[in-house]
Amino acid sequence: MINVKVARYLPEQSAAPFVQEFKVPYDASTSVLDALNYIKEELDPSLSFRWSCRMAICGSCGVMANGIPKLGCKVFLRDYEQGLLLEPLAHLPVERDLIVDMDAFLKHLEAVKPYLINNETTAVKSATTHQQTPAQLGKYKQFANCINCGLCYSACPQFGLNPEFLGPAAITLAHRYNLDSRDQGKAARMPLLNTAEGPWACTFVGFCSDVCPQQVDPAAAVNQSKVESAKDMLIQLFKGKL
Amino acid sequence: MSYKPVLTRTWWLKHRAFKAYMLREATVLPLLFFLLTLCCGIYALWQGPSQWQAWQITMKHPAVLAINSLALVASLYHAWTFFQLFPRVMPIRLGSKTLPAQVLIAGQWAGLVAVFVLFTWLFRGSL
Repeated sequence: MINVKVARYLPEQSAAPFVQEFKVPYDASTSVLDALNYIKEELDPSLSFRWSCRMAICGSCGVMANGIPKLGCKVFLRDYEQGLLLEPLAHLPVERDLIVDMDAFLKHLEAVKPYLINNETTAVKSATTHQQTPAQLGKYKQFANCINCGLCYSACPQFGLNPEFLGPAAITLAHRYNLDSRDQGKAARMPLLNTAEGPWACTFVGFCSDVCPQQVDPAAAVNQSKVESAKDMLIQLFKGKL
Repeated sequence: MSYKPVLTRTWWLKHRAFKAYMLREATVLPLLFFLLTLCCGIYALWQGPSQWQAWQITMKHPAVLAINSLALVASLYHAWTFFQLFPRVMPIRLGSKTLPAQVLIAGQWAGLVAVFVLFTWLFRGSL
């Protein structure tokens, strides 16, 4: 048995969040998500949390485990024998128990135009295939592994201080498309990346990369975007547009 | 109705990674002192020989020496963190391969040693 404390928030009962403790049986293969499901099924059906795939690819079950953002399905009770406190992902508004409002995060993702942009007409698009060499793929592949779980936003104190900061995942996504040989949308993405809410708000704390369950290294992408933003500024300067 | 926890002023005390980050950023403080003494030195040089000598005496004060030694250690620590981050910010790609991070880190340390040797050689008589 492990004592699992869960931060509860039931707005219809109380305006303030509180902590509830549960005793959960476990073995070597019991994940934190298994523990939450055990609590919901056996101890308290009112507990709310998100989950879907159970195999660290859907990115739904992000929680703070003893203050560190983790995917519930990717961490195990055996590593928390001293006790475990589960809280909703930090820096995002909490709607209920472990469920956070991801709107700010999704809006930031959308803002960076995370899709291939090119000038081809629809007819040309459907008629051509876009081949890439392994070298061209290698440039962005690591950054394409993001599963939009939002752990990096909960790890980022700059996002915690300023929710307008585009944040690690969104900037990584912008960088991923900017590096893609099939894409011509860099000019459309740079104006947003050049603002104070873009990569320049990052101070390279680097914790986003530590917590990333897919080893995307968002901190690297954000800081590579600073280099791109500086290059873009110089180009605009020489073109006489600044 | 949702609630949003506020980030407290002590957020950085909650994890080792944040403490390491704050230590890295705090290295600027002793460095700021060193830069101020350097500016005072230039000003003293402009003022004349007596001021220059007074500045040199001040610089030999144990407290000044201690803070400047701390500035040196802090700068080296900052360099160590910077050199590790550099390959992630500016990865060097040769064809389809990325130059290993260790090579870039070693290169930066070699650069630091080269600058140190050059300045030791330049000022070899005056120390």
